[in-house]
Amino acid sequence: MRVLVIHSHPVTDSFSGALRDSAIEGARAAGHDVRVLDLGAMSFNPVMSAEELRGYKAVTPVANEDLTVHIDAVRWADVLVFVYPTWWSTLPAQLKGWLERVMRPGVAFVFDEDNKVRPGLRQVRRIVGITTYGSKWPYVKLMKDSGRRTLLRALKLNTSWRTRSKWIALYGIDGASEEKRTHFLAEVRRSMERL
Amino acid sequence: MNVLVLFAHPLADSYGRAIFDQVMSSLDGDNHDVRSHDLWRENFDPVLSAVEKRNHFAAPETKTANDPLLATHVADLEWCEAIVFVYPSWWSAPPAIMKGWFDRVLMQGVAWTFPEGATRLHAGLAHVRRLVAVTTYGSSRWVNALEGEPGKATIRRGLRVLCNPRCRSSWIAHYGVDRATHEARSDFLAKLPRRLHRALR
Repeated sequence: MRVLVIHSHPVTDSFSGALRDSAIEGARAAGHDVRVLDLGAMSFNPVMSAEELRGYKAVTPVANEDLTVHIDAVRWADVLVFVYPTWWSTLPAQLKGWLERVMRPGVAFVFDEDNKVRPGLRQVRRIVGITTYGSKWPYVKLMKDSGRRTLLRALKLNTSWRTRSKWIALYGIDGASEEKRTHFLAEVRRSMERL
Repeated sequence: MNVLVLFAHPLADSYGRAIFDQVMSSLDGDNHDVRSHDLWRENFDPVLSAVEKRNHFAAPETKTANDPLLATHVADLEWCEAIVFVYPSWWSAPPAIMKGWFDRVLMQGVAWTFPEGATRLHAGLAHVRRLVAVTTYGSSRWVNALEGEPGKATIRRGLRVLCNPRCRSSWIAHYGVDRATHEARSDFLAKLPRRLHRALR
């Protein structure tokens, strides 16, 4: 399968960076084609400009040049893998802005003649979320786990009914031992090998 | 009441902007002290930098020293008793520029602390007694319920637990704005002052 890994974290050699590497290794070991968008390293700008919003519904995307590589990668992929740290129970601003700018009309969805949103990601077969939470599982659920809802509900609504999703998470990372972290890295690698 | 208004919309001639103007004039009419930030106009950078991340547990001054805009945001957050968010919901949540306000301004030593031996964050915004969101959704209430309203959860749960235990939060939303009639839009604007008045009472 064609696997696109989207990673967002400001520090390259962070634990999040290690998760990204484990995901890539796992997918490659299983013989998948892998492409990576490392938003932090690319200094991806998550803020939509006024001009970009004005052209939002245009048939041919008037997207800025810097979006081309992202849009091409999304159209190429049949597996989307998101790797990020959960902040305030959801995606970091940079990854949220990536959804807003890249997952635009003509890429992730289309507006029908009634101005309703219709799916545009039917080729995607899997959505995978790999994330870390500072809080423990019950607290994450009490806060309603917004990041997971954004990816596995809001984004998934734009895929096919056959699209499957997978959530691989480390809860309570703030108090997690070195051993627990290493174990989680191995779990990520294993899950990606078995896509 | 000291009210902090955070506004996000890139276009000056948008419906979102009209909502913001209406919010400002009704707060003025109710004699609140108001400070506001138009995040797009002030070019707020929503991306938490590597330096900020490395200094996650450092004193706030370490992060605001070379960033006067961030320092203003921190001062306004410490000053306010109510926060009013005005934004269009994108992917069922605040635009990235506003999510970045959470990531960067809600910092250790301001919005929360993590004392030695604690197992979770300790709230730092006891002076905040009201949270209000005024937002528009392109899609219907039904679709957003299906998507789980992630933006609503972030404000009414995630941020709410950092505020005063008796803090009240209100949700003033216009669903289905993509297909709404002109009348429905004007009606929402007209009712806004009363709804806001009640939310901040």
